[in-house]
Amino acid sequence: MKTELNYQSYKKPVIDTPPATPEAKPTPKITIDGVVIPFQAGDTIMQAAERANAAAEIPRFCYHPGLPIAGTCRMCTVEVEKMPKLMTSCSTPAADGMIVHTQSPKVRKSRTGVMEFLLANHPLDCPVCDKAGECELQDYNFEYGPSTSRFVEEKRVWDDATTKKLSDKVTLNMNRCVHCERCVRFTDEVTKTNDLVMKNRGYKKELSATDEERGLWNDYQGCLTDFCPVGALTFNDFRFHKRVWFLDKKKSICDQCSKGCNIEVHSDQNVVERLMPVFNESVNGHWMCDEGRVSYHTAMNPLRIVSPLLKSKGASKDAALVSTTWEFLFQQLNVVIKSSKKILFIIGTDASCEEAEQVKNWSSKLAGSSVVYFNGVNGVQTSKDDGKLDHLLRMKDKTSNTRGVEALGIQPINPNQVSDADLVIYLRAGRAQLPIEFSSSAPWLLWGVWNLEEVKSVQQKLNVVGLIPGLMTMEKDGSYVNESQLKQTVTTTIQTTGHCLTVNKVIEGLWIK
Amino acid sequence: MGKINTVNVSKKYTFKESLYLVAIIQGMMITLKRFFEGFVLHKKFTIMYPEERRDYSQRFRGEHFISIDNNKTENCTACFLCETVCPAECIHIVADEREDDQNLYGVKKEKKPLSFDIDALRCCFCGMCEEACPKDAIKLSRNYEMSVLKRDDAIYDLDHLKREVKGLKGRG
Repeated sequence: MKTELNYQSYKKPVIDTPPATPEAKPTPKITIDGVVIPFQAGDTIMQAAERANAAAEIPRFCYHPGLPIAGTCRMCTVEVEKMPKLMTSCSTPAADGMIVHTQSPKVRKSRTGVMEFLLANHPLDCPVCDKAGECELQDYNFEYGPSTSRFVEEKRVWDDATTKKLSDKVTLNMNRCVHCERCVRFTDEVTKTNDLVMKNRGYKKELSATDEERGLWNDYQGCLTDFCPVGALTFNDFRFHKRVWFLDKKKSICDQCSKGCNIEVHSDQNVVERLMPVFNESVNGHWMCDEGRVSYHTAMNPLRIVSPLLKSKGASKDAALVSTTWEFLFQQLNVVIKSSKKILFIIGTDASCEEAEQVKNWSSKLAGSSVVYFNGVNGVQTSKDDGKLDHLLRMKDKTSNTRGVEALGIQPINPNQVSDADLVIYLRAGRAQLPIEFSSSAPWLLWGVWNLEEVKSVQQKLNVVGLIPGLMTMEKDGSYVNESQLKQTVTTTIQTTGHCLTVNKVIEGLWIK
Repeated sequence: MGKINTVNVSKKYTFKESLYLVAIIQGMMITLKRFFEGFVLHKKFTIMYPEERRDYSQRFRGEHFISIDNNKTENCTACFLCETVCPAECIHIVADEREDDQNLYGVKKEKKPLSFDIDALRCCFCGMCEEACPKDAIKLSRNYEMSVLKRDDAIYDLDHLKREVKGLKGRG
């Protein structure tokens, strides 16, 4: 299992190694702002500058490391000695011995001119715009832009495209657009759906869905709003919820499928506001699917059960579960566990490796008990059933740790096992499904992340005796093995809500007591 | 336990101070001066509030309000700048999409405050919100009579803040 993650590998510097033989070519070098930088053959000037992290950031609108190069915005122009005109650093290949100036007066004057043209028709509605605070146009205007405007004519206003819903996920405000076409190239080259297009030309150039009735249909629409340098495309799930400068940003891993995309959890006062992808070359690249992006709603669900529940003694099968204290729950369940001769532990495959290992160790100390795992989402039983749903990221297995649980030597569920168990304990983290088809008269103990509606529907089929609230992926430390057998570790990004306890503490309470 | 060295810093009175007589006479002189001003010259120090009002500065910062346009719509666009800048953290806004098609300077207002609460008991009337507001929406009026019977009444909601305020010369 690999454990090394290469965050931001596209910015990793090239090491200058001397040629092994006299015939071999030495590593090519470029001089940027007086600093000599070795670069990889095939790099553009911008890539060489980024690798060395030597120069001040070259401003860009149309360039994005994950998208094909367009060279349309003219913001990244630099001065190259012995070249008559300013060159776009995003599309000019770096050559050995090139001398580049990124901050010369000529370059700065050009960038100021570009900013002035872009701002001629930009509405300057930063107070209303959701992008304000993380907007590239704002940042670059602060750095390079003219402080005053010479534009006295009426600004261009798109009456029908001021707040246009491109789909139920993305809203377009055409007034703010700077025509960088990152979004169009994304749908052309990354998702390959071609569902966004620029129609008309020049002054009337307008972004629009290819099929306006259908709108956008790709599964990565959130990415459009991530890399949009202005607030033209905004994500409806986050729109107007929070200003970005309030958000705390912590790295984590998406638990919505076996891909394990690297994400950043943005929260304020312990409430998750949005999830954003983080670049990791060996897992997700720059992108993340929409299903994962809105997955924080499971943790923030108001119906999520965050206190221990127990069925009172001698109550009928359909009786409601009652909220109780941890002390009383441990007392009561101790009696139940000690009196059962054969306990079956079922681990949902969204539990972390550590949790599965703890449960496995515990069960080995209880005589007659056994551990199995169950996935059950999309008809996936084991990791062999897993497969890609598209050419990018989405996977068939919608739980995060099937391979990690398998690596511990835990077997998949066998329907015949349930019938002779005295007690079934089922642990999951909100994503794996319940093996309802293996219904039995044995009492069930639910453990992990559940919401009220799920428990109600489970109770109609099974005899649930209690519920132990557990933690979501964001709320705990742990490691997950993704579809390419890469083990990734997460740390706590938000504090636990309610009275939820870690698996370790529950086992301590139930067993040691 | 080690010995702790202490220093006595209390001041010793001089002979003149220890008599106390000079200070008593000085205090009595002030009393007599005010007695003379009040009873002989009839100089007033109080006003007959509420019939009489003290004339405060035009720039006095009192009870908050949100300015409204001709359609009685608030100018606020829920940009959260006042909430960000507020040192007392007394402003709480919930933003939402504006559904109606009211136009401001030819551009549709996209965003509106769903709720806008100011906790006047926490507010320190510094006027930073007024300064930060890009739409000149939140303002501090000259009203200083803000007493309430319940603590809940001191939390101003949007309906209260949208009231019409007159007589603000040189402001806004």
